[in-house]
Amino acid sequence: MRTWYFSEMAYHPAWKKGLDRGSLRVNFPNENLDPVEAGKLLNRYLDEFMACDEAGIDIMVNEHHSTATCMTVSVPMALAVIARQTTRSRLLTLGNPIANRPDPVRVAEEMAWLDCLSDGRLEMGLVKGAPYEIAPANSNPARLMRRYWEAHDLILKAMSTTSGPFSWEGEYFHYRNVNIWPRPIQQPTPPVWMTGMSVETGTMAAERGHVVGTLLSGGLAKPMYDAYRKRARELGWEAGPDRFAYAAIIGVGNTREEGLRRADQIADYVRTAPVVHEPFTNPPGYNSIGANVAILKAGQRANRIVTDRNGEQINHRTATVQQFMDTETVFAGTPDDVFNQLKAFNARMGGVGHLLFFGQGGDLSHRDSMDNIRLFGREVAPRLMELGVPEAAAAE
Amino acid sequence: MSQMLTVSGVRLEIEEHGQGRPLLFLHPGEGLQPSRGWIERLARSFRVIAPHHPGFGGSELPDWIGTVDDLAYLYLDLANDLNLRGAILAGNCFGGWIATEMAVRNTARFAGLVLADPLGIKVGGVLDRDIVDMHGITRAEFMSLAWADPAKGGIDYASLPDTDLAAIARGREALALFGWKPYMHNPRLHRWLHRIDLPTRLLWGEQDGIVSLSYAKGWKDGIVGSTLETIPRAGHYPHWEQPDAFAEHVEAFAATL
Repeated sequence: MRTWYFSEMAYHPAWKKGLDRGSLRVNFPNENLDPVEAGKLLNRYLDEFMACDEAGIDIMVNEHHSTATCMTVSVPMALAVIARQTTRSRLLTLGNPIANRPDPVRVAEEMAWLDCLSDGRLEMGLVKGAPYEIAPANSNPARLMRRYWEAHDLILKAMSTTSGPFSWEGEYFHYRNVNIWPRPIQQPTPPVWMTGMSVETGTMAAERGHVVGTLLSGGLAKPMYDAYRKRARELGWEAGPDRFAYAAIIGVGNTREEGLRRADQIADYVRTAPVVHEPFTNPPGYNSIGANVAILKAGQRANRIVTDRNGEQINHRTATVQQFMDTETVFAGTPDDVFNQLKAFNARMGGVGHLLFFGQGGDLSHRDSMDNIRLFGREVAPRLMELGVPEAAAAE
Repeated sequence: MSQMLTVSGVRLEIEEHGQGRPLLFLHPGEGLQPSRGWIERLARSFRVIAPHHPGFGGSELPDWIGTVDDLAYLYLDLANDLNLRGAILAGNCFGGWIATEMAVRNTARFAGLVLADPLGIKVGGVLDRDIVDMHGITRAEFMSLAWADPAKGGIDYASLPDTDLAAIARGREALALFGWKPYMHNPRLHRWLHRIDLPTRLLWGEQDGIVSLSYAKGWKDGIVGSTLETIPRAGHYPHWEQPDAFAEHVEAFAATL
């Protein structure tokens, strides 16, 4: 299991006001942000990413828009800084919200540029994006995945074509001369990742051999991984753990108490991030018809509810650290505790090759964040590298 | 009773009631909702033909259909297939937009145009919202803007069977497909309104909070010779909220044709 550290570079000083207003996204006015403070925080967060390079951990960035929960507005912009200031870490975008980006060729150019700049360290996530990203991008939620797949195909073709230019006359995108300069070091393309929470996503990712990741979703991950493995077998290949990623909050400390405290502070991100004005949570077409039937019947749920290992319903808005641990959203404690929890998780999932280490999410101080990264890098990450397919799954 | 009809390769569910002059009615973004009884009221005077738009009700939405242009051509083909003559073309809300796109293209099958609280044109400046962002407000806020009496419009979703709920969800997705961006209008349509060579009656719910009477004036100025009448105690859907008054306005208009 490799470890990829990420943080959303949150503007947490505004969280309380956002929670009081019932929305931290889209309609939360930016007068609630002090730009000088934002600049200080961005520099601090970039320092934390740099510490990963020294700690032997890989790096992931994502992007969100119009929100106090994430100041990363552009994955290539953040990674451009990080690529120049690191030398060893692999660099993952998870990802580029390509169904919301108007110009896929520009995405291909940016990713190729980063691959060159980083000497071939790029891993390229192409994602659908969260429902509340529809409003800031003003992209049409209907047929979103059709646009996603057209952008995906065009980006991969642009990155892997060396004898261009070629033309593209599709449903959504039109170009007459695609011929990106520079082209990526990693050919035909840097490794491609997707995200999802459904069996369908697992199947579609398997058909392309992409890495599939899921964020903070606990029990939903296993059926998606299993669908991937099944589809890969049908197609004549065996999907190893390196095809699967899982994002979780990690708090390690020199004592169990310190690790739990750190995780609790980072978990404020999970308690806060889904709070958004209700109309932006389910744009028509984003979710399936079946999901919308359920929502029409039960009403739109204000908070994310997940099921823990014992079948209990846990509200993400108010969950305790222990409850988050029971839903595999948080792994916390001493380095031994965290390793043992992740080892057991790896066994339950049938082998997960990538841990996306959510290590900053609110009031956790810079010092705590750095200690969390360094301790994990020293005491946990090397042992995780030894974890592969668990024995039970390998024997199947 | 509804029937299935294939038009230009698209299977459409179409409601048809009554005798007399044909009235092709194009429904709003909230769907056809025949159970509100408004079709029977109009059917006292007209042969009402009311298709469920592709993606709504039982009508299919093929992959190749994705714009209001497609809907305009589809319904012009429907009017040909039904061999309509001297029909009234009517539309409310989103359906008014489709009707207008038809009328700037070809009016051969029609004798008059009725637009009730239509969407579809841009009147104000870049910072003016002519049409309320119905997708940026809560359902309760939407109902209070769209209805003079929101209690009249409420739907008890929990009481509906899954097939009806699925149709509602499909319809909402289809409306987004056709009208998300630019939001519920065609920026160029206003410049072509002069092509409409039909007597045109604009009807407006006096309590419409989705598109205001100043927006109505933009329509009136754009369609030469059109007349505007308002309907009291009605919001964005006057045919649902005041079916008698709505039908009387259409009957009076038809009498002038």
